[in-house]
This record gives sequence, C-alpha cells and structure tokens, in this order.
Amino acid sequence: MNKTLLIAKSEYLRRVRSKWFAVATLAVPLLAIGVFLLPMIAFSSGGGVDRVAIVDDAGLADALAEALQGRAAVEESDAPLDTLRARVLADELDGVLVLPAGLVEGDAEAEVRYLSRGGLDAGDGVRGAVREVVRRARAGAAGASPAALAAYESDVALRLVTVSESGDEADAAVGRFLLANVLSLLMYLAILVFGMMVMRGVIEEKANRIVEVIASSVRPFELMMGKVLGIGAVGLSQLLAWGALTFGLSLAAGPLLLAFVPEAAGDGGEAPFGPEAVGAIVDPGLLVAFVLFFLGGYLLYSSLFAAVGSAVDQESDAQSLQTVVILPIMIPLLFLSFVASDPDGGLGVFLSLFPLTSPILMVVRMAVTDVPVWQVALALALLAAAFVGMIALAARVYRVGILMYGKKPSLAELWRWVRTA
Amino acid sequence: MTSALRLENVTKRYGQTVAVDGVSFEAEPGRLFGLLGPNGAGKTSTIRMVTYITTPDAGTITLGGEPVGPATQARMGYLPEERGLYRKLAVGEQLVYLARLKGMAEADAKAAVRRWLDRFDAGAWAGKKTEELSKGQQQKVQFISTVVHDPSLVILDEPFSGLDPINADLLVDVIGELREAGRTVLFASHRMESVEALCDDLCLMANGRVVLSGTLREVKRRFGRDTVSVAFDGDGGWLDPLAEAGAVRVLNRTEGLVTVRLGEATAPREVLQAALGGGVEIDRFEVHEPPLSDIFRQAVQGAGEQGRARTGAPATGAGAIDA
Repeated sequence: MNKTLLIAKSEYLRRVRSKWFAVATLAVPLLAIGVFLLPMIAFSSGGGVDRVAIVDDAGLADALAEALQGRAAVEESDAPLDTLRARVLADELDGVLVLPAGLVEGDAEAEVRYLSRGGLDAGDGVRGAVREVVRRARAGAAGASPAALAAYESDVALRLVTVSESGDEADAAVGRFLLANVLSLLMYLAILVFGMMVMRGVIEEKANRIVEVIASSVRPFELMMGKVLGIGAVGLSQLLAWGALTFGLSLAAGPLLLAFVPEAAGDGGEAPFGPEAVGAIVDPGLLVAFVLFFLGGYLLYSSLFAAVGSAVDQESDAQSLQTVVILPIMIPLLFLSFVASDPDGGLGVFLSLFPLTSPILMVVRMAVTDVPVWQVALALALLAAAFVGMIALAARVYRVGILMYGKKPSLAELWRWVRTA
Repeated sequence: MTSALRLENVTKRYGQTVAVDGVSFEAEPGRLFGLLGPNGAGKTSTIRMVTYITTPDAGTITLGGEPVGPATQARMGYLPEERGLYRKLAVGEQLVYLARLKGMAEADAKAAVRRWLDRFDAGAWAGKKTEELSKGQQQKVQFISTVVHDPSLVILDEPFSGLDPINADLLVDVIGELREAGRTVLFASHRMESVEALCDDLCLMANGRVVLSGTLREVKRRFGRDTVSVAFDGDGGWLDPLAEAGAVRVLNRTEGLVTVRLGEATAPREVLQAALGGGVEIDRFEVHEPPLSDIFRQAVQGAGEQGRARTGAPATGAGAIDA
C-alpha cells in the first residue's frame, strides 16, 4: 500500500477508535439542539406577570388594566409616591405607573417606574400599553368613531416572500440568515478543531521522538500528507455523523418542543424542525458546497498548522504560534453579518472568492442568496490552487522542522528553510 | 558485498557549521562497525545521511553499491539515540505499522512481529499500549521495530544506554546473531566499554572528521603496548613518586588496582620495581595496549590541536588575550 495512504489509515483509525470521537459525535448535536430548544421552552414558560400600581389622575386606569391583561396585574392606588417606591424596592411591586391629569390633552408626562434589575425589557410592555390607551383616548376626544379607531388599529396582513431561482419561499429570510450563521460557525469550528489536531499530532511525534524513526522509513512529505489526509477523513466522518444525528434528533425535537410550547406548531399543526421545514431552507446543493469548502479550507489551514507544529518542540511553545494561525480563520467571521446582508456587493463577492475567507463566506452567500455557479466554481478552483501552494510551502518547513530541537526558530529562519529545503 | 555500507568524502553543512567534513569509511557485512566519538562529533549527522533522512552536500553513500535513497531505507533499520514510540498505540499494532512503513506486507509483518516478541519473551505485551510498559520494556519494543523487517544494515545509536545488565546481555546476544547472519551492524557510541567488547572495526570521529579508523586490533596496536596494570594488596603510595615525576600518566587508581600509561622514557619494569619497593603483595602485573577510552582521549585532543593550528586560533592561556 502506498505509504501516504498507510499513514493516513493509521491516523484515521487511531482517532476514530478513541473515546473522544464517540463522545464528540454524540455530544455536539445534543448540545446544539439543546441550545436551540431550552431558551424557547424557558422563554415561553418564564416571565410571569408584573405587579404594577397605578396612580391615576387621568381616568385611564380601567382601559389600561384591560390593555395590560395577561402581562401585568394592575392595582389602583392613592398612596404617595414614596410609599409606592418603597414597595417596589421591597419587591411587593414590580413597577409604578403615574398618570397625571392632562396626560390625554398632552399637557403632562406619564411616568413608569421600574426596578433596575428588570433589565432592558422592563416597563416596555407597560409603556406600549400606555401609549395605545392614550392615543385611543385622544382620538376619541378628537371625534373619531369607534369604527374609525378599530380600522386604525387593525392588523395588516403582509407576507415576506424571498424570490430565488429555485422557487419563491415565504418567510424564509430569517431562516436563511440563521442557517448562514449556523453553517459558518460550524465551518469555523470544524476547520479549527481538525487543523489543531494535525498540529498536535506533529508536535507529539516530535516530542516523543518517534519522528526520527519514521523519517528513516518514509519521506517527510508522505508523513505530513498522510497525517493531513487521515485527520481530514476523521473530520469528514465526524461531520457526516453529526449531520445524520442532528437530522435524526431534530425529527424528535420537533414533537418534543410541541409538547412544551404548543404555539410553536406550524400552520398545519405540524412539528417545527420537521423534514419539510428543514428541506425548505437547506438545499442539498448548499450541503455539498459546504462539504467541498470544508475540505478545501481544511487542507489549506491544516498544512499551515503542520508547518507551525514542526517548528516547535512542545505543546507549550505552540500556544503563542496558535494565536497567529487562528486569526486568518476568525477574520471571515467578523464579516459575516456584512456579507449576509449585502451578499452581492463588491466586497461580499471578493471575500467569497478569496481563498482564506471563501470557505466561510461563500457558504454564507450561498445560504442567503443565489450565487452563480461559475462564481462557486471559481472560488473552489482558487481554494484548490491556494491549498496546493500552501502544502508545498508547508512541506519545506516541515521537512526541516521535524528534526530540529532547541530554540524556536524566528520567522526569518523559517523563511530560510523554505528557500533552501 | 550486497550489504556493505560505503561512505566516500561525505560532507554536510548546517548554516555556517560543518557538521560532517569529508568522512569516508566502509562497514562490511558480518562485522560490527563502531562509529565512535564525543557528543557533537558528527555521528548522528552522518547516520541521518546514511538513513536518507537528510542528504549530503558532497560525497556519496552507497549500500551494496546502490546510492542511498527511499529504496534503501527499506533495507535499513535505525535505532536512534533518542528513543520514542507512539504512546497510545498498542505494541503489536505499532510494530506491524512500523514494519509496513518499511515496505513489509501485512501478513509478513504480523508473523515477524510475533516471532520477535516471543524471542524477547514479550508476547504478553502485544496488546498493551506503549505507555503502559516500563522503560526497559519499551526499549526492547523499539529494538524489535529496528530489526523486524530483516534489514541488511542495522544502525544502533547508543543501544545500551539505560539498559540493565541482563537486558544488555540479551542485546549483545541478538547483535551477535545479526552478525552471524551476515548483516552489517553499525554501532554508534561515546561509551568505550561497550565498544571494546563488541566491535570488529571502528572509526573515531571528532569535530566532523575521521580521526582514526581500522580494525579494533590494528588501532590498539598502533598505540603500542604502553599501558601497565598492577593489581596488588596494600598501600598504593608506591606510585606517587612515579606519577609526580611525570614518568607515568595515571589512568585509573583504585584501592588495589592501578592502570598507568608509560611516559616516553619509562620502561615497564620501573613500575614493577616501584611496586616491589613499596612492599605490597602483587597479584597481577600486565603490560598491554591502552584502553580504547584513552586512545580516544588522545586522538580527540590531537584532532583539536590540529584544528586550532589550521584556523590559527590560540590554544589557551595568555596568548588568547592578544589574538
């Protein structure tokens, strides 16, 4: 068997058989679904009803009580403000609402007092209700009939439909944006995790000195590529396992969510995250592109990591170099929202083609808009050229680095290795 | 001659340093070749070129007439000075993997690994991870990895370091077997005792150059029989006058045993006379060749002086300040 493949196979089996792999395969999808579900469940069951005292000189208490029904329990009070304030601080009330006379006429200002620990949201619901009630009162005073008022406050039916070549989808924009976020994060993590695995493997071989024995049996390039390919296969396996598990779990998650939060059901009463819903957002072409860009991005970054790993002796030395190599992967994330909201703009197109940023940002573009096939092909081609170049460069550093022990080489020295290797 | 190793004028530079400078020697099958020298002499650099881990800047290296390259790697086994194995991999699996990297087919590798593990009484360890073994056991495993693919050239760099006497004996036996089987064994070390007992041929390196070479007997004989050992019972003070006068150089002095090298003008009987005069009981008096360690020391010093003469650098002392 070809030596590179032999090494790749050994690297693959060694990692796939470890406990770590099994744990990660199970844990990540569970965590991901959990992270999604739990806030939804918590949000709907939490909250509770605020207790609000109203000091009403404007005659709006009853109307307000009705407007706030379900969100706040209202009690009228004539107590002085200081007493009420003390009651808020003593946690007997959540808030105090002061409606002075002349509010409706516009001569006075209403005041909502809430405890600071309520957060940004505190008092918002009450504010909105007050506004609504006051406006209704003013409209009534200006002579508007109840029918006119009702017309003014009526709901307007509006649907947001995203037009794309594959068909028009209703309400898809948010889903797609969410998808772009999820995919880019996944891509970032996957490239990072498996790239680091390559680096750690290289350092391990140096630290326990087996690299010299291996170098007397195979060419250093074969060792490096075997490692990169083997770990890449682990990455692919892990992604596929995650995909399958997540899909399976989400089929179960839907009904589970439904049990807690009945309002989450779709129009036809079907469970959320069901296959139809997922299928509407996630297009198989996108998944294929994701896998291809993962492979390209991984090959690009892992060979860089292999070179970095070969330049140091121990894991501890690698820490400082790690930050340098993580930066290029993180930068695309910074541009995420920008590209997602303006995917066809000049910068967006450029970033989705540039090899260092394309794995993440092209996928983002593809998630939110239709990208012409030629652009995708171009991005993949550039990525391929980039990783071939990076592998060639990295191999030169690797070849010298694996046999060097002692002080960490400077960048200038590394460059010399590249030139003379 | 199919597994003779031949180096001709091999040179290797690392930046400004010349690690290996015009080194030539030949290691023949069925014989043990000792590559000796202090640390930094260039032994490991030379070995790395033989195993094709690095390539020389000048000169040629051939194995059985064939220039070393990926093809010859399969016919060599290398035990580096710094030992190392994959810690979390099981012994049997690791040995098969390493054998296959050398080009062995899987079935052959498995059979060979089993055979060698049995030879070392290590069959029980096959399933254990390397990190679960003791250091001595790990070394045995590493040795097996060096020979499992039946190489025609076996290179051992400090193979005895860290081995207890029993395992050292076992290793000596196995090395002897390799030799009998017609393999070429190249042995690198800076510890003379192990070499003296085993080597047929040797080559002494210092500062990247070959300082001495030839068969063990030739080399020793070259230095004449100017060493005297006296085993005695009693006070060793009889030696002092000779030593202080510089007539002899003391190599070893313990209670009851002295070994000295005679100065140019000193005859062996002078030592005998001094001992008799000291009134001690003499158990043994022997005139023999100097121990390799001392030949080594002398040769390395000589090489150092030559090196300094060449570069014009001062030796030591007052002269250095003006240079």
